[in-house]
Amino acid sequence: MDRSRRNFCLGAGAATIGAATVAAMPAAAAPGAVPLRRDGDPAHRWAMVVDVGKCVGCQACTVACIMENDVPENSFRTIVSTYEVTEQGKAGSYMLPRLCNHCEEPPCIPVCPTGATFQRRDGIVVVDNTVCVGCAYCVQACPYDARFINHETQTADKCTFCVHRVEAGLLPACVETCVGGARIFGDLNDPDSAVSTLVRDENPKVLKPEQGTRPRVFYLGLDPRFQGKVDGTPTLWRPSGETHAKKEHA
Amino acid sequence: MDNHIVEVINVTREVAWLPWAVQYFFLIGLSVGGLLLSLPGYAFAREDWRALGRIALLVALTCGLAAPVALLSDLHQPGRFWHFYVVLRPTSWMWWGSVFIPFYVTGLLVYGWAGFREELQAHGQVDSRLAALYRLASLGGGRNDALIRAAGLFALAGALLVALYTGAEVAVVKARPLWHTPFLPIQFLMTALAGAAGLVLVLNRFAAGNDRAVEVRANRLLAGFLGGVMLAGALWLALGLFGLDSTHAEALGSVAGSEAWRVTAVWAVAATALPFAIAVAKPARTGLLTGLIALHGAWMFRWTVFIGGQTVPKTGAGFYDYALPAGPEGLLGIVGTAGLWLFLLIALTAILPSPRRPAPAPTRAAQAPAGPVAAAE
Ligand code: SF4
Ligand code: SF4
Repeated sequence: MDRSRRNFCLGAGAATIGAATVAAMPAAAAPGAVPLRRDGDPAHRWAMVVDVGKCVGCQACTVACIMENDVPENSFRTIVSTYEVTEQGKAGSYMLPRLCNHCEEPPCIPVCPTGATFQRRDGIVVVDNTVCVGCAYCVQACPYDARFINHETQTADKCTFCVHRVEAGLLPACVETCVGGARIFGDLNDPDSAVSTLVRDENPKVLKPEQGTRPRVFYLGLDPRFQGKVDGTPTLWRPSGETHAKKEHA
Repeated sequence: MDNHIVEVINVTREVAWLPWAVQYFFLIGLSVGGLLLSLPGYAFAREDWRALGRIALLVALTCGLAAPVALLSDLHQPGRFWHFYVVLRPTSWMWWGSVFIPFYVTGLLVYGWAGFREELQAHGQVDSRLAALYRLASLGGGRNDALIRAAGLFALAGALLVALYTGAEVAVVKARPLWHTPFLPIQFLMTALAGAAGLVLVLNRFAAGNDRAVEVRANRLLAGFLGGVMLAGALWLALGLFGLDSTHAEALGSVAGSEAWRVTAVWAVAATALPFAIAVAKPARTGLLTGLIALHGAWMFRWTVFIGGQTVPKTGAGFYDYALPAGPEGLLGIVGTAGLWLFLLIALTAILPSPRRPAPAPTRAAQAPAGPVAAAE
């Protein structure tokens, strides 16, 4: 079993793309129907298993993602939602790392009026931010609040499974940095991969299964109270409201 | 039994469809409503509907021209709007919208021109420096009922497509239970008709000579539309309350616990029932009041659906806070579109002042201080 983060290696060849946003103007350059899946190697189906019990809520993944992907201030491609759960007078913490689920039936894609959002043949859902008009229809359609408008590019943004790293044979930054080993990344098409084994043997859960999105981020030890919209007292901490402050950013 | 959950850390997703979108859906709805109200008087040449139809046509044109500007501004990359037109994306209602809007606006402009052509012709016969321009604008012709009807039916087709897509675009979003209801397109259309009747009443008072017959007729129409609004709302509520339909129950459940949402609901009922009662009981001399309340109701419905709907987190607990920003992401969008609409109204009523009024509207001079034309007769 290839669970170790450091041993992860892809059979894939050299990187063909350099960034999360790929292939200049494919939609605009080729008028006509945009195929729903393109690019990427269909030999793989990338997925993640999150072992909730191993997450210590350190937010190292949150920070690693921001550094790796130059995510603007007050925006998050991934975050560890943290809850205080009180049961019979006893309080405890519950941590739930959230990210784009790279759904098998992603509702964010059919709504996109430009084809900027698409799914690669390896399952990764990406946004071509040279095509995106920033209409935010995909932001509305994602049932997981996984998308947002990046105010530096003024286009839709979200987790890409660090596609640029994966293409180079590396793990996503959040997986690489996870101290608890709570995030396990791999190829569902490889029956011997850690994710395949866990999905097969451990009966993991997904978020909001009733939405029919068939997520490819699975959770071990997911408390049903956190599977959908959480019924509780809203967050005590929020990013500051000044999200649009013009940042001098390279 | 002290079990509860407190969210300690989570992300707040900001509103991604901005107040510009509220303005777009409001204006395009008023335009479609105005077009429908103008059809009997113009496309079907019913003389008794002509005066009301003329105001409705003003509503359709001014709102229909301002709406696409608001829509474009809601894109975060407005300069890339042409990206809609180099792909085929039939799975996206928004893409269909990018096809339907130009279709509708073109139809509306041709219909509006055909409808106002007799007035253009009349202005062309007045001894004025601008007469030649009017003659040019009328293309040397006058009223042509066959042309008006053809253009009206063309615009009607566009209007129905716009009504369909604006409703469906929002209703298909399964991720938001409040939006994901087949009632939403109907509610959009009914509130749009009520808003359009409301704007007809307001313009009748301020920009079209305060015609009592128009007021009574528009108030009666308004009462009918508001009745439809209440019926649709009651059905939606019943399906949710009695758990007859899981999506409606879920939608209701997502906001039922919120005090702010309960206040909004009471407000919405009042803003519908009150003008309904007034319009039924006293359709004359109440038009300004019922019209303003109806307009406000149509706007508030969209504000609640879009801005309110986006403050319901999809995964997080409770609600997101929303404070209207002062800049282009917020207040400026609302004020800007309202200003654009007002400019269009002033321009249009300056070019085409209301014809033959027994008592000229007192506001005429204020609205068109440099009126380029003499009175129509
Ligand atoms: S989680 Fe949301 S953004 Fe990611 S693929 Fe699924 S629907 Fe799309
Ligand atoms: S914001 Fe961009 S990616 Fe999202 S639906 Fe609009 S055009 Fe597509």
